[in-house]
Order: sequence, then structure tokens, then C-alpha cells
Amino acid sequence: MTAPVNILLVDDDPAENVIMRALMRKVANVAIKLHYVETVEAALAFIRSADPQLDLILMDNRLQPQADFRETVPELRQNGYIGPIGVISSSITDAYFQSIDDYGVDFRIDKAELDPTAIGFIIQEFVGKDTRAAQ
Amino acid sequence: MVALSQHHRRYDFAGDLDKALNRVDFFRLFHGIALRYGFEHFCVLQVAAEMEASNFSSKLVLHDLPAGLAEAYDKQHRFSESDIYRSLRRSVIPTVWRARDQHIAGDDAEHHLLAQLGFDLAIVVPLQATSGARYAVVFLGGDGDIARQQHVELCYEANCVFDYFHRVVLSVRRGMGLTPRETEILRWISYGKTASEIALIVSVSEHTVNSHTATILKKLDVVNRTQMVAKAIREQIIL
Repeated sequence: MTAPVNILLVDDDPAENVIMRALMRKVANVAIKLHYVETVEAALAFIRSADPQLDLILMDNRLQPQADFRETVPELRQNGYIGPIGVISSSITDAYFQSIDDYGVDFRIDKAELDPTAIGFIIQEFVGKDTRAAQ
Repeated sequence: MVALSQHHRRYDFAGDLDKALNRVDFFRLFHGIALRYGFEHFCVLQVAAEMEASNFSSKLVLHDLPAGLAEAYDKQHRFSESDIYRSLRRSVIPTVWRARDQHIAGDDAEHHLLAQLGFDLAIVVPLQATSGARYAVVFLGGDGDIARQQHVELCYEANCVFDYFHRVVLSVRRGMGLTPRETEILRWISYGKTASEIALIVSVSEHTVNSHTATILKKLDVVNRTQMVAKAIREQIIL
């Protein structure tokens, strides 16, 4: 039995947590444990607790009180988080999304594009453990 | 990246292509095409120059197949003997594979890639990169067939996305200049820092550091970090 993939969703809308949880259950051949917090501060507290070790963070682009990922992601990085971070948003067409590299973001994806296949792909790209047969 | 001219007609998808930065972006573009044309999955395959025994999983350059599917296939079958792979050796005309046609193919069932992977329809688009290397984009789905117009458009879109994917992601070659971020990471490597230490210093993920390191290895045409630093100092990329 392989350990599940631990993903932290940071989003100030609890409805997104419900949607994401349903999505994660549909990913083929991978057991995912989704954790959820509403703020960057809570995310930092989760990371510091180091239990469980996170495999991936999905960050909503706009989180109060910060403006967007250009403020939130560097804060996670400066506090020592070096795992993968993906920014999710209802629109990723604004010009500043072209500079994700400069802010320590690994990838960006539109919320409408996040389906079970997309989650499966992201896990295969960024989570370096063998997830086969982890049901 | 070399800018394309208006002669490279990219219709309404030019904007999305120009914005694509990394593998996830190209996953998004290929996956988007697959969904628009009613497919479930895609894969980009490398087509070897010579007829050789090759694994399916080792030829996948980018794909969104369920975890473990390609590896499970390789345990039971030989990809280089599959009907789809052999057809890529014969012609560069795009092919359509329907599960219901399998019985008319004439040869034995053990080489039907479509059935072995468990899909009902596959569209295979053979492509060539500007380097001359051969690839194919394969769309896999569960729906019976594809109409002519859709097939032609699908091939054209796959061609455009693949071209960008190759130039932006795959075509890193020796002799290409390092980006400022790559030079910065190279410098930290020369100071003896590990990937996780560099991630902390530069405020990026360890994954990003490792992928930059892989790019530097290719660009400097070296095999490990020791040779990388030695060559960088010899060539005065870092002092």
C-alpha cells in the first residue's frame, strides 16, 4: 500500500473545498488526501506542523488580505516551503500570470480546466512517489 | 524563442500558444484539444530513428494517461511490435484506429495497441520537429469515430501545439545561452549547495531547481554537476 498524496488547498471559499474534494475522488489509480485551509497564515501553520508532509499546494490566486499570488506565494517560499505550488484561478489570462517563475510558482491552471485528468497529470509531474495501486 | 511570422497561420489559438511557458501549460493545451474533440486522453510520443525494441513508457514525452497504465502495458506487450507503432514507420499520413475495425486488420490480436490500452478510438498524428526528430501525438477516447472536418482540424491544432511544445520545452540544446535564473542556480551549485538549499535561497520549489539543473546539463552538454561547474568555470560563465 502506497502512502496517499497529500495536497493542501488554500482558498477563502469553502465551496471550492467541496468541489475539489469531489474532483480528487475521481482521479484514477491515485489515493489523494486533500487538506483545506482558508488563509496563507493557516497554510503556514499547517506546513510548520509538518504532519503530514505535503506533496503539493494548490493556491487560489486571490486570498484576503493579500492581493494575488505575487504576494502569497513568496510568503510561503520565504517561510521555507520548497514543495510544488500551483496557482488556481477562475481566469489566468492577466499578463502577470506570464511571470509565475519569478514568484516561485510551479504552474498555473484555470479552475475550469481542473478535472480528474488534470489532477492526475499534475501529481505525475510533481509528486515523485510511485502512486500506482494506491487505492 | 524565435518569433513566428503571420505566415505560420495559427488562427484563434495563437494567443494561447504564445503564452505557454512550461509542461503544465502544454498539458493544458493538448488536454483542451482532446476534450474539444471528444477524447479522454492524449500522449506525445517520440518515434525512434531506427526500428528498435522500445518501451511505451520510455517513448512518452508528455501524456495524461492514468498513472501506471503505460508501465502495466510494458509488462505485457512489446510497443515496437504494436500496429500503431509499426504504422508510424510506414507512413506519415495521420491514422484513425477504431476498436470495431480490429477484426479486419488481418493480423493477430496480440499487437492491437488500442485494445491493449482499453480504448475504442485513437487518432495518431505523425509530426516532425524542426530538429528533424520524429514524434506523434495520439488522442485516445471512447467514442466510435471522427468526421473528416474534425479530423483535419484536430491534426492541424495538434501540429501547432506540438511545434510550440518542441521549441519551448523539448529543444533545449548544447550551446544555447543560460537564462539569468539558470546562471544563478549554477552559481549556487558551484558553492556546493544542494537542490533543496538552493530552493530555499532562491525562493522556488525544489522541483524548479531540479528542472533548471537538467536544462543546464543539456545546454552545457555535460553529464553531472561536477562537470557542469568545471565547464562553467573553464568557459567563464561563472567566475
